[in-house]
Amino acid sequence: MKVNRRNLTLGSIAAAIAVSNGSRPGFAQDKIALDFPYLWTGPEAEALQAIVDSFNESQDAIEVEGVSNPDMQRMIAQMSSRNGFDISDAFDNNIGTWASTGAIMALDDLVAGAEYDTSDYVPSTLERMKFDDQYFAMPIAVHTALLMTNDALFEADGVAKATTTEELADVIKTLTKVDGDGRITQLGLNQPDFISFAYSFGGRWLDDDLQPSANHAGNIAAMEFWVENVLEPYGVDEIKRFQSGFGEYASPQNPFYTGKVAMVIEGEWQARFIQLYAEDLKWSAGFVPNPAAMPELEGTAFLSASMFFIPSNTSHPEEAFTFMQHLLSPDAMRDFTIALANLPTRTSLLEDPAYADIPGMNYWLDSLKSENLVFNPSTSWEEEYRTEIASTTEEVINLRKSPEEALNELQEKALNLADA
Amino acid sequence: MRNSISVESGKRPRDMKSRSNRSLGVLFALPWIVGFLIFQAYPIIASLYYSFTDYNLFSSPVWIGVDNYRAMLDDERFYKSMLNTLYMTVFGVPLGLSFALITALSLNTKSRLQPFYRSLVYLPTVVPIVAATYLWRWILNAQYGYLNSFLQQLGLPEPLWTLDAAWTKPALLLIGLWTVGGTTIIYLAALREVPQMYYEAAEIDGAGVFSRFWNITWPAISPVTLFQLVIGILGSLQYFAQAYLFAQERLNAASGGPEDSILMYGMYIFHNAFVYLDMGYASALAWILFVVSMIVTAAVMLMASHWVHYEGD
Repeated sequence: MKVNRRNLTLGSIAAAIAVSNGSRPGFAQDKIALDFPYLWTGPEAEALQAIVDSFNESQDAIEVEGVSNPDMQRMIAQMSSRNGFDISDAFDNNIGTWASTGAIMALDDLVAGAEYDTSDYVPSTLERMKFDDQYFAMPIAVHTALLMTNDALFEADGVAKATTTEELADVIKTLTKVDGDGRITQLGLNQPDFISFAYSFGGRWLDDDLQPSANHAGNIAAMEFWVENVLEPYGVDEIKRFQSGFGEYASPQNPFYTGKVAMVIEGEWQARFIQLYAEDLKWSAGFVPNPAAMPELEGTAFLSASMFFIPSNTSHPEEAFTFMQHLLSPDAMRDFTIALANLPTRTSLLEDPAYADIPGMNYWLDSLKSENLVFNPSTSWEEEYRTEIASTTEEVINLRKSPEEALNELQEKALNLADA
Repeated sequence: MRNSISVESGKRPRDMKSRSNRSLGVLFALPWIVGFLIFQAYPIIASLYYSFTDYNLFSSPVWIGVDNYRAMLDDERFYKSMLNTLYMTVFGVPLGLSFALITALSLNTKSRLQPFYRSLVYLPTVVPIVAATYLWRWILNAQYGYLNSFLQQLGLPEPLWTLDAAWTKPALLLIGLWTVGGTTIIYLAALREVPQMYYEAAEIDGAGVFSRFWNITWPAISPVTLFQLVIGILGSLQYFAQAYLFAQERLNAASGGPEDSILMYGMYIFHNAFVYLDMGYASALAWILFVVSMIVTAAVMLMASHWVHYEGD
């Protein structure tokens, strides 16, 4: 009995020492263990786990334990604790807040130390990862917003696709149908995300000095376009009522698939969704049209990204970066982005035939070759600004305020955020 | 013999036993005391300190005095979330108590199916809150929801429950009524405790239904009403889950529903803490909520003497 207890005690001490050394029971003793929680679930998580497994098989120095953990609050709590994780993923809009608070580490030294070649990346995708001129994350997948059209509805009404915003207004008018009771039965264009839509009108939300430019003429024009061509002609309440009846987004009842909406501005994952839920849908996609007087905006596409980062409290930054390089390698990136139906961030993958298995993916892959890829650079007040933009959008789409009035007020609030 | 022992030791056995019992009691309570100190007292005191600091979880707190509290004065969302929460308290709590009491009164009959009715009323409270809220989102759907279909058949207006800022809070109140089962069961138990002889005497005196309720039932169950009122107010001031699920748009987004109409105070604390990572400001907001809760509870307790009747009063 005494011997057993002693063995138990010694075993516990040994296990504690092993944990404190960064390796865990079950892992080979000479390997450094990395914790890798990720937000993805389901098939995406399976694809990521396969990449983790391939890394572990190739390694005799590092062992990665990946676990699906779609809980961002838990992630934040772990990042602020002493025993957090070593590497994880998130969306690009978190970079500013997390980098400015010191939650995630700058990667410049690691990139330089490993002589990591970044020349293959689409330049805008890497730029999006910066805060204060330093890289705080690396992009695994990007998304661009394109105008998708239900071509069957266009053909039924004999409508040509719009090449300018002026033509887009006419197309919306033709493809929005109202019945005898004044109820909308088909909407020409679903409400866009105004953060990205504004760029198609030459707008921007930050100036070159990263100061707010909420009341930029292009931003006002984008919102006025929606007010004048959709909200005022068809009525706020009627549009809301119609929108409330839209089916589940990721299902055959998606309003774009069922023909309730003729045009949507969406990202590349729609190509996979259509493959899964509406295989017979006749559709195409292209850049959102721009005002006829602004031909220089042609090919404008708003870019957002999913990224990998290393928290500041990791004990193994070099090892985490080694694993990150594996995650971002061309083969892993190809496998993973195909599983997600997201866009790769490497230019060498844009023509990869593997993406041809997803019909229509080429629209978005081609968009990454555009000279006019745009994004919102990171600031420490990015999340608060997004919240304010969302509130302002609500005021405009409920016709409580004119776009100009609402955006002028937003500018004042944003300046206060930037000064804080 | 006893006296001689106590004189020798200088202590009386009863004192020793009492002290021993006290020590034993403290020993048994120690796990809770330690848990309270570590998991409740320390975070409460720490949050008070953080409320006077600029703190983001990842770097050391920097003392900024009352700046966080001063910032609330110019914070539109502070007022908006406070007003939304007070709306839910002022309208939701009385509405919920009234509905629960009416339900309990209607269930307080002698019937063999009584256990079935009670289970039926209580059932919604055991449905997971997330599942129930998503279910209600569809019931309240403006286009295809059951509620609007019903209203349409009656020729009544069909509100945009989840999309119109004017209707989002009433929608949450409606959901709240669905989950009054717990309150109803407590009321039902209280109603059973009212002595029947009072009703018999009142009936002999010719008292009507309303008179019997107002003069017998209501005073008799008033302590239970006070308890439910205080619990209801405190719960309402911390209103979070349903509104958060109604408003949620994307992962970790600081959404407050249409025009921030369901941005509750608890949600605003959460947004500041876990989206903006402004833990200092979130702590200050939490302390304001604590003070408001104390003031409201104290006011209710002070006024209770006017309408709460205890047995023997």
